[in-house]
Amino acid sequence: MLPRKHEDTKKGTVHSSSCFRVFVTVAALVAGVGVRAQAAQVSVTPIARDGQVLVSFDLGVGISDDLRDAIQSGLATTFSCEVALRRATATWFDRTIASVTVTASVRFDNLTRQYQLSRTFDGKEGVAHSTDDEEAVRRWLTEFERVPLSMTSVLEANGEYYVRVRARTRPRNAWILWPWDRSAILGRATFTFVQ
Amino acid sequence: MAGFTSIAPLRSQEPLTPAPVRRRFRDSPRRILIGTGVVTALLVALVVVSARTSRFTPDLLTEGVLYALSAADLAMLAALLFLLARFIIKLVVERRRALPLARFRTRLVALLLGMTLAPAILVLIVGSELIRTNIDRWFNAPLADVLSSANQIAGEYYHERQVLVGDHADRVASALSSVDLAGADADAIRERLAPELTLHGVRRLTVYRVGPNAGSPPTLELVGDVSASGLPAGEGTAAARLAAQAIGGVSDARSIEMLGASGDLLYAAAVVRAPDGPPTGVVVAADYVAGEFAARSHRMVQAFEGYNQLRVLRRPLTGMYLSFFLMVTLLILIGATWTGSYLAKRITRPVVALSAAAREIGAGRLDQRIEQQGDEEFGALVEAFNVMAGELATSRRKLERSTHEIERKHLEVEKRRRYVETILERITTGVVSVDISGAITTINTAASRLLSLPRSIVGHSARAVFDRADLRELGALIAGVDRPTVTEPIPQEIAIPREGQELRLAVVATALIGESGASEGLVLVFDDVTPLIRAQKVAAWREVARRLAHEIKNPLTPIQLSAGRLRRHFQTAPPAVKALVDECTETIVGEVESLKGLVDEFSQFARMPSPKTVPTDLGQLISETVALYNGIFADVRIEQRFAPGLPLVRLDAEQIRRVIINVVDNAIEAMDRRGVIVVETQLDIPNRVVRVVVADDGPGIPAAEREKLFLPYYSTKGRGSGLGLAIVRRIIAEHGGSIETSDNVPHGTRFTIELPC
Repeated sequence: MLPRKHEDTKKGTVHSSSCFRVFVTVAALVAGVGVRAQAAQVSVTPIARDGQVLVSFDLGVGISDDLRDAIQSGLATTFSCEVALRRATATWFDRTIASVTVTASVRFDNLTRQYQLSRTFDGKEGVAHSTDDEEAVRRWLTEFERVPLSMTSVLEANGEYYVRVRARTRPRNAWILWPWDRSAILGRATFTFVQ
Repeated sequence: MAGFTSIAPLRSQEPLTPAPVRRRFRDSPRRILIGTGVVTALLVALVVVSARTSRFTPDLLTEGVLYALSAADLAMLAALLFLLARFIIKLVVERRRALPLARFRTRLVALLLGMTLAPAILVLIVGSELIRTNIDRWFNAPLADVLSSANQIAGEYYHERQVLVGDHADRVASALSSVDLAGADADAIRERLAPELTLHGVRRLTVYRVGPNAGSPPTLELVGDVSASGLPAGEGTAAARLAAQAIGGVSDARSIEMLGASGDLLYAAAVVRAPDGPPTGVVVAADYVAGEFAARSHRMVQAFEGYNQLRVLRRPLTGMYLSFFLMVTLLILIGATWTGSYLAKRITRPVVALSAAAREIGAGRLDQRIEQQGDEEFGALVEAFNVMAGELATSRRKLERSTHEIERKHLEVEKRRRYVETILERITTGVVSVDISGAITTINTAASRLLSLPRSIVGHSARAVFDRADLRELGALIAGVDRPTVTEPIPQEIAIPREGQELRLAVVATALIGESGASEGLVLVFDDVTPLIRAQKVAAWREVARRLAHEIKNPLTPIQLSAGRLRRHFQTAPPAVKALVDECTETIVGEVESLKGLVDEFSQFARMPSPKTVPTDLGQLISETVALYNGIFADVRIEQRFAPGLPLVRLDAEQIRRVIINVVDNAIEAMDRRGVIVVETQLDIPNRVVRVVVADDGPGIPAAEREKLFLPYYSTKGRGSGLGLAIVRRIIAEHGGSIETSDNVPHGTRFTIELPC
């Protein structure tokens, strides 16, 4: 549990399993185990393992009727998540340390009643499979485990960082498109990197 | 219509018609045509795009097209607002500047905009509602139900067939569990499977066995397959992939291989397990859906999906069509606004250009011309205007030359006037001019000084100014200013009293006669001839003295000699006679001696030598002279007050000493040898003179007698020759100075001697 890790880190007794003596503390006051955005359902959990910053996040959304309609219409429906590791600066725009774009797509075959699921990481094809379980589809689209974001070597010891997750669905279902899309799902978690 | 673009200044070397300037966009029909073509092409492109929206992918539709249309709408809205704001601001500015036809332009543009705006917005509203209504009508319930049912039928059929094929695969896998697939012969397997094709309707069976290299997942090797006759071959790899999924742990592994017009192959895989549990192979069963049926099923599914995709994308589609519509409306409004502005300018520009050019010409810039690019309605007017401007410029140049000539002459006159004025101010002759109305127009410094009149009397009535008692004689000369009869100036000598003395002026009054012969006034010229008269008198007296001395002195010696002879002749006469003769001859000789002394003084007055001047310390000279009186007159006190910084004065010390002695003697005599005499010196730097003032506190001299003091043989003492002050005046005069008398305050007489320094 990351909050415990935070506590243990303060005591200086817990070590990670990697060759790095790395642990990440998540500011419980700021983020706890998840940072709320939109409907306050997005949870973002950054962890450090084996010299990498891994981010797990759950968009916390179910499959709405509109989304279900879109999927069952045979449209390729995609959740595109931009995960960014950033550092806040007081006098200027926050600096992005690293970012990765993860997409999860689903396409429903009305003939076979199968959901074809696929993922990409920064445009590279990932795993793909099919299922007929709608709950599995929901998890596939909204839950991401240990997405590699950055090497810990680029982080400064005791530095304050945060991970921001911005997710949006395609195709959009709006009358008019606005550059500042308010329908995006946002999540954020702040942590202190201690080496 | 004639085309005008601007007004332009014309250089003097340029011809009357100005060269055409570079045309702007709105004056170029070619560019307008190109612009119109671009807009039309844009509209056509919009129509084409809207017609092909069904072919767009959802992502392109929602991310690309809709975004582009939204951005284009916003840009065009901004452009429309900019055009309107620019037009309104320009109109406000033009109306504030009271430019011509500003109101007309406002009305024209407002009319065009109003005529366009109302129908455009109406069409936008109605059209938008129609679009929304029609799109909603696409998705009516019966159609949705039909498509959903059709999709369900197709799906159920395929699903049922796949379940059936899966059952076959399970059954065959169960049957093969007792067979050693690793060592089985392919022909034996085919032989064993062949009845399945005929008895259970399976169209193809493929058997794989687990390879010798165990792994995770294990590798599969094809053992053998059997197919019904006439079955399309298919891709060939679909069965292998499905088998790999099944051995990899995927439960209920199924797939469909679509063969296009040939139909579909439905696959299902089942793992063959040995009786003791480990997998030994995989059986892939396949069924075949004929081409026509498969195609119909696909079309049903596609229709359902297409319908539902449209329904899902209903809002973006509606937004896209509305954006199209809004874009066309905005294009119309922008076009109307621009066209209104363009037409208004096109119509009013010639008049505005004429007005602006007229203002420029009114402001004096006569080289302004209006550019003419056509010869239609306004061409003649513009040409006439340009001709008029040219003639105005020519006239102005002539006028400027005349003005320049007048200015030059005026400068000359002014120069002459200043020259004359300077002369008038510098000369010692007094000049007073009076205009025909009797007002004094000029009085120079000398006149002001001689007449004791301020310069500020210029403009005053001469009659009033010269009504003063001492100036009445002059006033009488001016009285006839309005009578042009006096053509020949007649010199006159007028005496006016000035500070107890008589100032004698030689006056000439000259009438100013204009070119028409009428009198324009009078000028009074007068000179102070007092010193001249004095000099003439002195010269006359010197002549008198010289003749007197000559005529008297000559007989004196014979008289004296005769008296001597008489005396000697009567030496022998009786005593009484002798005494009488002696007494008479003694008297004669004594009086002759007295006459000789008198004649010598006259001779001295007549033959007084010219002064031999050298730079002399006047103060020291006065001090030494005054020192001669020390202890002589007990009741007379002589005070000396010398101005500091007195320069050396060129003078004949002996003669000046004689002057001082004479003046001081007179003062002592005048105050009856009792009182105070002040001898002081003054320095008058502006007039470059040194003054010696001798003031006594005696009874003073009446004003009427002051001038006579300096006449020879005039004496108030009853003794002496009366030549003392006459000699004094002569000495001072020969030193280039002057001597005046005036009253002392509170009583007494002041002799003021001025000597140049």
